Amino acid sequence: MRGKGVGAVSLPGWTDDELLAELGEALREVPADDGVVRAAQAAFTWRTVDADIELLYLDADAELVPADALVRGAGPGALRTMAFHGERLSVEIEIDEAGIVGQLSPPQPGHVTLMTTDGPQGTVEADEVGCFTFPPPPAGSLRLDCRMGAERFITEWVTV
Amino acid sequence: MADESEVSRLVRASERGDEAAWNELVRRFAPLVMAVTRNYQLSTEDAQDVSQTVWLRLVEHLGSLREPAALPGWLATTTQRECVRVVQRGRRVQPVDPHSDGVLDQGTTVDPDDAIIRAELRQALRDGLAELPKRDQMLLQLRAADPPMAYEEISQLTGMPIGSIGPTLRRCLDRLRATSPVRAYLATLSADEGKGGGRRELAGVD
Repeated sequence: MRGKGVGAVSLPGWTDDELLAELGEALREVPADDGVVRAAQAAFTWRTVDADIELLYLDADAELVPADALVRGAGPGALRTMAFHGERLSVEIEIDEAGIVGQLSPPQPGHVTLMTTDGPQGTVEADEVGCFTFPPPPAGSLRLDCRMGAERFITEWVTV
Repeated sequence: MADESEVSRLVRASERGDEAAWNELVRRFAPLVMAVTRNYQLSTEDAQDVSQTVWLRLVEHLGSLREPAALPGWLATTTQRECVRVVQRGRRVQPVDPHSDGVLDQGTTVDPDDAIIRAELRQALRDGLAELPKRDQMLLQLRAADPPMAYEEISQLTGMPIGSIGPTLRRCLDRLRATSPVRAYLATLSADEGKGGGRRELAGVD
């Protein structure tokens, strides 16, 4: 599936022939289709300009999947756990066929809105210990918008 | 070095709300994102969803990219992670055989690190080529074709003496190596040194 230089992507040391071969491969690669480009360009409309909104970052460690989940995983019924962290708030969610179960940390009541690229998909209340649930989300990109009084937090986008 | 900041300029302008700059960023780097997703054998829908998530996330991160010139690396890494997440979730379209392990047989033929570096490299080569004079571009494209066009044909096509094509080609390749996207790509590789992992081993030496 590739040209020369497999396993040695060391451009500085490449001969002219190797460089030409790689350039050829580069030029023959299929460019992204128009739909993908347009959708990505439209992502700009989701720019959050309000500096008062704190972004909650997806915790890379939360992507580690326990061994039993790997065995069970990759199919219907698989449970996905994600954690988003900010300086003053964290959100953990679990997604499976039944929907989304989440909790705010530190535990506190609030309002949580599920956002997709089609817009808000519904707002639910987080209870006294910060727990909230959503029905199964549509496939695609989503994020959570959390409001506690005047404070607002928004998670990074994730694919579900 | 002036052109090295072209990506930086687009990033900064996008951050300020310049939609045209954003559209140009997407146009330049959408192939990179899609190239990384191809290493994971995702369904078309999943690959498109991953791409969308990556771009949505970049919108939020424009202001926090420490070094805008490192954008290709950021995009590739973010795409890779999101692909892994989607693979772990399972495929939306294809039915799952409960007796087969849905995870272990995925993407085993490609080292993701290698594939990402290669996708970035190819992006840099395409961008670098676009910065060269049209004459250089044409000669490189003719010789990079599969099969490459013979010197005789190139001579007929361009009027260049056959004897000068080889030396000219070598100078074109050197100019390609010296373009800002290619240099920026190499700088990213060196910058990754110290993080460990496959990238450094593959980066070679200057």
